[in-house]
Amino acid sequence: MKITLKIKRFNPEVDKKPHWESYTVEVEPTDRVLDALHEVKWTQDGTLALRRSCAHGICGSDAMRINGRNMLACKALIKDVAKDGVITVEPILGLPVVKDLIVDMEPFFAHYRAIMPYLVNNDPPPERERLQSPEDRARYDDTTKCILCACCTTSCPSFWARGEYVGPAAIVQAHRFIFDSRDQAGEERLRILSEPDGVWRCRTVFNCTEACPRGIQVTKAIGEVKEALRTGVIR
Amino acid sequence: MLRPLIVSFREGVAYRAKGNLLWLLHRISGLGIVVFLGFHIFGMSMAAFNPALHERALELYKTPPFAIGELLLAFLLIFHAVNGTRIAILELRPQLWEKQELATRLSLIITALLTAPTLAIMAYKSISHFLAH
Ligand code: HEM
Ligand code: SF4
Ligand code: SF4
Ligand code: FES
Repeated sequence: MKITLKIKRFNPEVDKKPHWESYTVEVEPTDRVLDALHEVKWTQDGTLALRRSCAHGICGSDAMRINGRNMLACKALIKDVAKDGVITVEPILGLPVVKDLIVDMEPFFAHYRAIMPYLVNNDPPPERERLQSPEDRARYDDTTKCILCACCTTSCPSFWARGEYVGPAAIVQAHRFIFDSRDQAGEERLRILSEPDGVWRCRTVFNCTEACPRGIQVTKAIGEVKEALRTGVIR
Repeated sequence: MLRPLIVSFREGVAYRAKGNLLWLLHRISGLGIVVFLGFHIFGMSMAAFNPALHERALELYKTPPFAIGELLLAFLLIFHAVNGTRIAILELRPQLWEKQELATRLSLIITALLTAPTLAIMAYKSISHFLAH
């Protein structure tokens, strides 16, 4: 089938502001939006800039706004998103556009680093791995699935309004360690997240959960962190 | 200070998702109520400070545009209260976020159930008023 890709283009060296360009491409309904973008870049216009790596929904590098909503281009099927043969593609919101569909992810990763995204345990290491019961492992299973694609954070109205807000992705990553029975820095992370740009900037809009390509219950995870802060107990 | 407002109506409108629409409506209804309340308190206080102006305000409230505005306000107020209650409950019981779709549907249904008779009574009163004059 033939579809029209409407892509928001921006080249910082010549453009003052972004503009739309349309491309007609031949695709299968079961192809992904990423395939259509490849078709444009490889056969029609090599200047189109986009980021992708794995092409299979696991590296988290091709988050973009498809028909106005955040998705991974490699997970969005043409047949699911084409409306009357047209698909619009724009960069994600809230981060500076470097070129075309590529945004500067550094502010996003800075928030990720701020919540100490690593296991902290000062007990002497045991002979083998640090053991944990299946129940304790299940407690934070949902938030281990995050691939740091930024679909959630850049769908969040609180983040658009204030880039200093740590954002849902960083809170999801904090949740993954706060509720890990082997970790000992939960209190420290909760202290960071109770600051003015921490969890309380979340206004429960729910965009993040709707946007997450891994199906993570993002707003619930944020709610559990808020609950831990409110009650002073991590459980 | 203005940035959240600008963002609401720029990115907020550009982003197409269900939750986003509900949030926008909650924000618009909240702001709408604030504006109305300010107007209302100003109008009522004129009863003490400027009775003539107060009389004119009362006359103004009886005109059709204000009658329609009141219907809109009633809807916004009911929606804001019901949806706000949903948010508050889910904030206190985060496990319930998994049932967010159901909660949203429920709050829209409760809003409709409360709005329909309210609007009917208000519209009936306004129309009888206009017919009588
Ligand atoms: C009738 C009972 C009411 C309830 C249950 C209620 C509930 C709420 C809740 C829970 C929020 C926070 C939303 C969030 O953080 O995501 C909120 C926001 C707000 N409310 Fe209400 N509210 C009520 C009445 C009012 C009234 C009377 C006014 C105006 C005077 C008002 C104006 C606002 C405004 C301006 C916001 C901010 C909206 C935003 O940040 O997007 N509310 N309300
Ligand atoms: S639930 Fe909170 S973090 Fe998620 S999009 Fe909404 S405001 Fe942002
Ligand atoms: S929580 Fe989901 S949307 Fe957010 S960064 Fe992780 S995988 Fe992406
Ligand atoms: S290219 Fe790796 S997630 Fe899409």
